Amino acid sequence: MTEQGDRERGAEEAQREVVEERKGGDYAPSVADSLAFYQRAGGIVTALMTAVIAFLIGGIVVLASGSNPFSTYKAVFNGTGLNWLFPWVTGATRATAALNLQQTLLLTTPLILCGLAVAFAFRCGMFNIGGEGQYIVGSIMAVWIASSFVKMNGPLHIVLTIVVAALAGGLYAGIAGFLKATVGAHEVISTIMLNWIAFWVGSWLFALGGPLQSKANGASVPVSNDIVQSAHLHVFWGDPVLQGLHVGFFIALTGLVVYWLTLNRTTLGYQVRAVGFNPEAARYGGIGVARNYFRAMAIAGTFAGLAGAIDVLGWEFRLNVNDIQVSNIGFIAIAVALLGRNTAVGVFFSALLFGALLNGTSTRNLDPTVFRPDLAGNLTLIIQGLVVLFVGADVLVIWIWNQRRRLRPGRAAAVPSP
Amino acid sequence: MSTPELARSRADWGRLGEPKTIGAAGIAAGVLAFWLTLPPLKATSLVVPVVVGLVAVACGGWAVSAGAKRVGWGAVAAGLLGVGLGIAATNSGRANLTTTFAWSALIASMLVYATPLTYAAMGGLWSERSGVVNIGLEGMMLTGAFFGIWGADKTGNWVLGLLIGMGAGGLLALVYAFFAIHLRTDQIVGGTAINFLALGITGYLFIDVYGSNGTPDLSTGHWLHGQSIPDIPISQHAGFFQTAFGDLNLMVWVSFAVLILTYLIVFRTPLGLRLRSVGEHPRAADTVGISVFRTRYAAVTLSGMLSAMGGAYLTIGFVHSFNQNMTEGRGFIALAALIFGKWRPSGAFAAALLFGFSSALAQRLGTVPHWASYAVLFQALPYVLTLIAVAGVIGRSIPPAADGQPYSKQ
Amino acid sequence: MRGLAETPVLELRGITKRFPGIVANDRVSLDLMPGEVHALLGENGAGKSTLMNVLYGLYHPDEGEILVKGKKLSLGSPKDAIEAGIGMVHQHFMLIPVMTVAENVVLATEPTRGRFLLDYAEAERRVRELSERFGLAVDPTAKIESIGVGQQQRVEILKALYRGADILVLDEPTAVLTPQEAEELFAVIRSLTEQGKSVIFISHKLHEVLEVADRISVLRRGKLVETLSGDGATEESLARAMVGRDVLLRVDKKPSVPGEPLLVVDGLHVFDSRGLEAVRGVSFDVRAGEIVGIAGVDGNGQAELIDALTGLTRASAGSVSVAGRDVTHASAKHVLDAGLGHIPQDRQLRGLVLQFSLAENIALHDFDKEPNSRLGWLHPRVLISRARTLLKAFDVRGGGAMTRASALSGGNQQKVILAREIERNPRVLVAAQPTRGLDVGAIEFVHRRLVEERDEGRAILLVSLELDEILSLSDRIFVMYGGMFVGEFTPDVSEQELGIAMIGGTVKGAAA
Repeated sequence: MTEQGDRERGAEEAQREVVEERKGGDYAPSVADSLAFYQRAGGIVTALMTAVIAFLIGGIVVLASGSNPFSTYKAVFNGTGLNWLFPWVTGATRATAALNLQQTLLLTTPLILCGLAVAFAFRCGMFNIGGEGQYIVGSIMAVWIASSFVKMNGPLHIVLTIVVAALAGGLYAGIAGFLKATVGAHEVISTIMLNWIAFWVGSWLFALGGPLQSKANGASVPVSNDIVQSAHLHVFWGDPVLQGLHVGFFIALTGLVVYWLTLNRTTLGYQVRAVGFNPEAARYGGIGVARNYFRAMAIAGTFAGLAGAIDVLGWEFRLNVNDIQVSNIGFIAIAVALLGRNTAVGVFFSALLFGALLNGTSTRNLDPTVFRPDLAGNLTLIIQGLVVLFVGADVLVIWIWNQRRRLRPGRAAAVPSP
Repeated sequence: MSTPELARSRADWGRLGEPKTIGAAGIAAGVLAFWLTLPPLKATSLVVPVVVGLVAVACGGWAVSAGAKRVGWGAVAAGLLGVGLGIAATNSGRANLTTTFAWSALIASMLVYATPLTYAAMGGLWSERSGVVNIGLEGMMLTGAFFGIWGADKTGNWVLGLLIGMGAGGLLALVYAFFAIHLRTDQIVGGTAINFLALGITGYLFIDVYGSNGTPDLSTGHWLHGQSIPDIPISQHAGFFQTAFGDLNLMVWVSFAVLILTYLIVFRTPLGLRLRSVGEHPRAADTVGISVFRTRYAAVTLSGMLSAMGGAYLTIGFVHSFNQNMTEGRGFIALAALIFGKWRPSGAFAAALLFGFSSALAQRLGTVPHWASYAVLFQALPYVLTLIAVAGVIGRSIPPAADGQPYSKQ
Repeated sequence: MRGLAETPVLELRGITKRFPGIVANDRVSLDLMPGEVHALLGENGAGKSTLMNVLYGLYHPDEGEILVKGKKLSLGSPKDAIEAGIGMVHQHFMLIPVMTVAENVVLATEPTRGRFLLDYAEAERRVRELSERFGLAVDPTAKIESIGVGQQQRVEILKALYRGADILVLDEPTAVLTPQEAEELFAVIRSLTEQGKSVIFISHKLHEVLEVADRISVLRRGKLVETLSGDGATEESLARAMVGRDVLLRVDKKPSVPGEPLLVVDGLHVFDSRGLEAVRGVSFDVRAGEIVGIAGVDGNGQAELIDALTGLTRASAGSVSVAGRDVTHASAKHVLDAGLGHIPQDRQLRGLVLQFSLAENIALHDFDKEPNSRLGWLHPRVLISRARTLLKAFDVRGGGAMTRASALSGGNQQKVILAREIERNPRVLVAAQPTRGLDVGAIEFVHRRLVEERDEGRAILLVSLELDEILSLSDRIFVMYGGMFVGEFTPDVSEQELGIAMIGGTVKGAAA
């Protein structure tokens, strides 16, 4: 038996060497190894813990600046409109809650889709930081097409816009996938660069004198043309004038289903997951690794491009330079995907969480007597940062979780070694 | 066969006709094609840029056919660009050109824009040479920017402000280091988190401390005494030199010192050798008794402090006020400069100058009628160039071998 | 050259090192005299590396003590070992490719100029001086990545000498060297011992050990079997001590009835990832209904040969055909489609996607074919029911079709791979170390199954480091050494004869 064990250990050592060798020379190691860990570690427990820790620290920040964290979080919660779900909320409060909830879901919609953009690439072992750029490209294409072809039939116009914008997002992300597949350029670097290229090109397009700037008002405002009225998405809940909830929300929900089906029920998804978990085994199994890097990135970009199109057709209706420059949907999406552990259900709930947080802390929804809304927006950023920080440090979160358990007598838990 | 001397002299003669040399000459000709149309020479005839540009294309074509593909295509591209820009320049009004290309002012402006990039790129260099990828440069810079001006405002002394800014940047970097080194967090995830955190913390404190009025304007009143970093007048005689270098901020000169020191320490001292060995092959470093963890902690913390210096220069040396998210991606340009410069101080500095120049030019273009909108587009240039660089078109950029890999002792 | 001084320069007393479930070193005692070359001989996994890691401060022994020049040492880190005068030349070089020879040598103990600056001239001078003194010719200004493996090894030795090592541990130093480079290394070792240095030489190549060693210790299964004087030892006595086994796992099998050749390899050359030629002109065939075994010490080109056969790397010259189809330049997928099954050397790295369910793993090669999928849509129910049938047929325990592969034990993981590869009904089956790390029961299962598949008429190529596995399963045996086949044997060859061929000894009675 000794010899067997010894041999086994030898094999493990050899394997570790191979793994290390494989990593050598890459800018940052493939996320494949950490991916496996993220998928399995602690399931929902670590995700919840991560959020709880982030909100706890956020509460301390609130406390430090002289406000009451409990009433602040309560006010934020009421601002999200989620209290609409409680049957005992009635009357005027309920009407306000409905309005707020519409706003929350309006923000959740692009977060779901961009979250899927990050998650899909993640499942193929890539880190797509470029959700933002892909989202911008999708928005630009959407506003361009939806404001052109004035005489086109409405539904057809919408479909055309959405398809072209999604494809544009896919192609744009495909650049990063292509570079990784062909010359091995790390997708993190290329997607960062692509984000900023989209940022500045977008700013240029609608800036004064830019090619897509509106010629109305003597061309004095850095904004695009308005999209055609008939290309607006139907508002099914609330008042279209007050930015009610549009059918794009269902497109996002469909996106979740498509994401799950693609990954788990298609040969494409099988290949993507195999490459993401273990590129070497995938290669051994006859799967083209490079091809899947490109495909997965392009599909990821399609989700983000779709998000851009839906925002434009659903409630933005035009883009100005500022919209492009302050948008950070694609970055929040990183937190969404990581916290949601790259699963469809997880992405939905964490998109809802961040959508609610963004809306609940916005200037117009937060009760200013409880906490200053201009501060709250930044509090959201801090919480977001903490979530990403702790999501990356599962080891720490699990350790904290186990410390809690250890306090209870009789339930000793093994502390995983880091 | 032949003696070494003979072989060498043959090689010397041969080198002039080598495809690579011809290709390089082609690139130079391409640049020349455009430059000839600019002040002070201002060739007005279309013929000049076209002819010189075509020479470049020809050189490139020959080099490609002779096997030096990379340089050759570079020359072809340079030639075509030279012709295009040259034609644009000869066609545009003289007056416009002179406004845009006042070289001396442009150089001064380039240095101003390049300085924050230089600091952050040097910071990034320390971190990545030790094997820790740092995409949190942006956040560390922003932290330095806020705490720099906050410190200068509260203490009334820019030196203390700068130190407080550096301290804050270093602290944030230390947090990142703990997660990246000890907890072995994915470094991209960690860096992203740092950027969010910095954005939130600085924004939060900015509004909490200064409210909607913003920071006091440092460019007026008592602020000029003590709270902002002084400019250094070095020449009284008006002229090219005076406009370009005569009145630069102290931090611009300090950035040169940081650059040179970084080069010296990283590439010329035992400390630097150890730092690089940790970034290239941590296990090899460990087996000769170098502490991988300690080296990386120190490098990442220093990285945060240097980035923060770049941020502090923005607030108390250049803009004289703070705004939420005022670094606007400069940290990422610095990262791009580092990659573009192949993780070397000189290369990163050259890239920072190039990117600074494009910013300066964009700012100039912004004041010229009809060209203003292109000024915005110009801002994308650094990122496009870096994307081309990572694609391997102009020489592959190879990072330190262990960059991004957490280390554990078995 | 023989150590005549009374106190040994190094003494290991009763070193025991346990890992969870195993004893890697079992009361090993060993000493080293000044100016002596002491060879440590043993198979892969015999415990040599563990012992040396204990000596270098990387592992802490559970029992026993280490004495250097009569003084007891407690080694906490490599740094302590360096200070005690122990220098280690690792099998995988600890060199930084982008730095120069001098930089690598002086790292962490650099000469300085004007207090702060690294004195490159002085560093180069010292390296040059050292290399002249010990006959280690190497250019101090050359970058590591631009010099050959043999020179890199000299740099490693220089590193140890520069740090004042009196005891040098060379861990399988010739594994990466050409015969000429190995000769040069022996000359270096002689010059080192002449100047009072002592050397521990780890190897599993007999003739080398006989050539350089003053004394030879043989390790087997973590225990020190015996220590022989270099003069008295012979290839035969060493081979017996090294590979000798008490139990032989014999498999009952009928004589083979070879049919047509199904795997034909002709003049195959393959380069490894470092650009060195790892397979140098190998030709053979495997016929239907026979098992051909390839024996050899690890790292003699077996892995590269398999990769080239299975389409995972491109061969630089030669040809491969599977069941009559030329697959020399085919992709992995096409090779598989041509009728080849591949049990890979590394279960966890290559054979399985550990995070996938068993059903998904079983579909790895044919998930995109009907009935597993149609028009791009997977049919999970088909995958699961097929997996259930197979798991039952191959007696996989510890999980069902939906269990993650990572949850299974090594033996059951291997059964899953076996099931997948055999179910595809391949004409040719390549099995690379199919029983590595398995327990006895699982080994028996795999062996029996391979013989059954042979009798079904498949052509089976077995590559293994385990001699008894090769001997008990194969109908014909090739020995691979240095990227070439150095001998062909019938299964009635003795272990010792095979062992000698494997370690590059003189081959008697080879029919190649």
